[in-house]
Amino acid sequence: MPPILRPERRETQVPLIRVIDGLNEIVGRILSVVALLFAGIIIYDVFMRYALGQPTRWAFDVTKQLYGFYFVMLGGYALRHQAHVRVDLVTARMRPALRRWVELAGYAIFFFPFAWVFARRSWDFAMTSWRQGELTYGAVQLPVYPLKMAMFVAACLLLIQGVSEALKLVLDRPNQPERHDVG
Amino acid sequence: MSGLLLLGLFMGHPLAFVLGGTAVLGALIAGKPMVLGIVINRIFGDVLDNYVLIAIPLFVLMARFLSDSGVTDRMFEALRHLMSRVTGGLGLAVVFISILLAATTGIIGASITVMGMMALRPMLQYGYDKRLATGLIGASGCLGILIPPSIMLILMASYAPGLSVGQLFAGAMVPGLLLGVMYALYVVFIAWLKPDWAPKIAEADQISRGAMWKMLIIEAVPPLILILGILGSLLAGIATATEASAIGAVLALLIVIMRGRFQWRTFYSALLETGRTSAMILFIVVGATAFTGVFNITGGLRASQDLIRGLADDPYTLIAVMLLVVFILGMFLDWTGIVLLSFPIFLPLVAEMGVDPLWFVILMAVVLQTSFLSPPFGYALFYMRAIAPPDVSISDIIVGVLPFIVMILMMCAAMILFPALVTWLPLALYG
Amino acid sequence: ETWTMTSTWPSSLELIEIDKHWVDLANKLVDDDKLTIEFYDGGSLVPAGEVFGAVESGTIQAGADWPGYWAGRNSAFSPLSTTASLFNAVDYVNWIQEWGGADLYNEVYGQFGMVYLPYGVTNNESGFRTVSQPIRTLDDLQGLRLRLSGLEQGKLLEKLGGNQVSMAGGEIYQSLERGVIDGAEFSTPNVDFSGGFQQVTQYWSTPGWHQSSSVFGVMINKGSWDALDEETQERLKIAADATMLWSLSFTERRATEAYAQFQEAGTEITRLDDEALERVQQLANETITEVACENPMSAKVYASQLTYLQEYSTWRDASAPFNLGRTPNGPDLAAIQACAE
Ligand code: NA
Ligand code: NA
Repeated sequence: MPPILRPERRETQVPLIRVIDGLNEIVGRILSVVALLFAGIIIYDVFMRYALGQPTRWAFDVTKQLYGFYFVMLGGYALRHQAHVRVDLVTARMRPALRRWVELAGYAIFFFPFAWVFARRSWDFAMTSWRQGELTYGAVQLPVYPLKMAMFVAACLLLIQGVSEALKLVLDRPNQPERHDVG
Repeated sequence: MSGLLLLGLFMGHPLAFVLGGTAVLGALIAGKPMVLGIVINRIFGDVLDNYVLIAIPLFVLMARFLSDSGVTDRMFEALRHLMSRVTGGLGLAVVFISILLAATTGIIGASITVMGMMALRPMLQYGYDKRLATGLIGASGCLGILIPPSIMLILMASYAPGLSVGQLFAGAMVPGLLLGVMYALYVVFIAWLKPDWAPKIAEADQISRGAMWKMLIIEAVPPLILILGILGSLLAGIATATEASAIGAVLALLIVIMRGRFQWRTFYSALLETGRTSAMILFIVVGATAFTGVFNITGGLRASQDLIRGLADDPYTLIAVMLLVVFILGMFLDWTGIVLLSFPIFLPLVAEMGVDPLWFVILMAVVLQTSFLSPPFGYALFYMRAIAPPDVSISDIIVGVLPFIVMILMMCAAMILFPALVTWLPLALYG
Repeated sequence: ETWTMTSTWPSSLELIEIDKHWVDLANKLVDDDKLTIEFYDGGSLVPAGEVFGAVESGTIQAGADWPGYWAGRNSAFSPLSTTASLFNAVDYVNWIQEWGGADLYNEVYGQFGMVYLPYGVTNNESGFRTVSQPIRTLDDLQGLRLRLSGLEQGKLLEKLGGNQVSMAGGEIYQSLERGVIDGAEFSTPNVDFSGGFQQVTQYWSTPGWHQSSSVFGVMINKGSWDALDEETQERLKIAADATMLWSLSFTERRATEAYAQFQEAGTEITRLDDEALERVQQLANETITEVACENPMSAKVYASQLTYLQEYSTWRDASAPFNLGRTPNGPDLAAIQACAE
């Protein structure tokens, strides 16, 4: 997203927005650290393999699960910071009021249907795995359902952050856009 | 579905959710809400349960450690002094540092922002033409997605059956470096043709040779070793891309610590920014995998393949058509969306035609750089605009990048005429 | 009626030919107004590991698989897909068609709301392919990191001193190339060759004691199956039986051709001696008993298989040397039967 600097607004006073934003902020601040954890495990595995000739049985599956957990849980946090890349060439030229309504329509048409399906279907997906006590297959049998449940929780965090963002648009209390990276 | 996609983009909604939302609406419009089940299967299997993609957050983290702690800024300073004695030297420094940064960062926003902040002001101060300056910084920054390590190539490998990250890194190396050389030659040529577009740095602003070399060794050598170490361990078969990315992140942190630039505050903010950037990139993958699944199952895959087959029956025309599609998509989407949407359609066609998939993928990677530079939606243009002084207009920037788009297209032509530019290094390394 | 079907195999792996063969036959045998099966290559609808879930939930109606991939959901899927040093392909055919095997597939898949038609058998798998350390004797397995699929297989390998690495088929080539693993088994020689393994491995150790043979087939959502009339169901089964016979001879011919191709590519091929295989058999028997006794359903499948072996052994041994395969000195039937209760 091209950075557009707007004057900073006062912290919003709507309790629902505060609670949702606060929740995703906490999740983001805690889980961002997980990157160090899987980086560490990978390094440990490489070290054990080359220096000691003892590969770590669980490293492959554990790093993969930690990575999945890490990024999916941060979806709501990224939305709270408006970090998801978008093209606002057209909307940037609109009158602020029109722009707000167009952005709101974007949430209604695209975000909410997707986030709802993501959350709803993830729930079934996670519950099926839980009921079956699904494990990774092979001699290292790690449970798979915690990650699938995390995906459901992540979808919910994303969904409620969308509610918060939409409310900000309705109440005309936009987030301060920040400068972010584009891949 | 493509109509909805465009609508969402123009509405300025985040790409990830435009893709995901289009998938949901597409399934409903096709009267097959049942197929939405595959959306979750795909999100879990393709994105969460994907070992290759672990490298993305880790390479982002590596780049953050280096740039947030100021290691990259100092590296540029050192090179700037090295180049200061040559005509167009500042421009050359931009190209060189971009190649180095390209290798360390692999994400374009960081490259362009850092370069723009460090190089644009001095260039304009010394009287560089604003179109040349902005075009050069924008285009050089885009090399970051091509020159390994590149998260674009990692994502491409994850989506191209039978191609490894190592092969793609090796394949992109020569075309990426050659493009860098082309940009450098272009700067030298312009400096010779129109000396007032790229003036020399005043004698008084130069530092002594001794000081310059010392600075160069201290500032530029360790990051250079880092890059060579990562690429070397990867290409020599000691580590996977995922492992190389973890090693890279830890070594970058060590460099920061050894420089005495470690601060808990910047360290933590690097982690937070990495979390946001990684979630941003990977949620586009989430949205795209949802979109592709619904698109495929509702018949879009077969229809679009038949359409492309109908347009061309010899491999060269087919490839030209596909590259044109990529170029046009590049005006609207960024590489993530393009790769994720086009690979499932293109790669089977490429295999059907007996074309080397490695060569084709690298060709696409080169063309995809234009997705940042081509108006109306080139991110590089907006990044430049955001950091440039007010008297640089968006049209200055667009005019500025045009010659570079032409050079990228020339590079593509060269790769089509001489496929060895792509295939030589992977063959030498992997047989 | 139109069914959407996909597979665990991408278009680049030859195993997909078995799936396509069944789909072709089924579409030929069944009238278009009754049922048309639209087949999608593996990966184009859902990733390989998610085919099970997609059929189970009814998102798609049918999915081609190798049952062992689902052993994380129920370890009984493992003997339905392969055995360590027990069955050969003909044993599977005999057992499935005449010794009650088919019912067990439907019993296990039935727990997940699916009907199963086994339609492919491949005989012995290649064995291990290694990058730089040959496996000429069992001692050579010590400390090797080997890609291997399956629960019993992994435990057996660990007993022999090796380390199991689990990874999807698509990641094997790259991991061998990068030296992440020392070696790998994947499938039969022709499938391995189509995966390019000759480019990244120098040594090949036969036979495939870890997977003496394999079964492939199609999972069908129970609701979709029940919606078909009996005649259509019958025709799908006929297509499955025909495909099963074809798959056996097709794979054996292709494996023979691929063996020559590996030789040509300069792969060093060695075979473990009979004494080594005897030792593997003992450890395999132990492993099977252990794993079976953790899950009554798994024990039930194994008990049925061992009963078949025991019954058939009289005639099989009497007809030697004109018989089909060998009577393995397998695990103790009574012990496993006790665990099935
Ligand atoms: Na790069
Ligand atoms: Na196998």
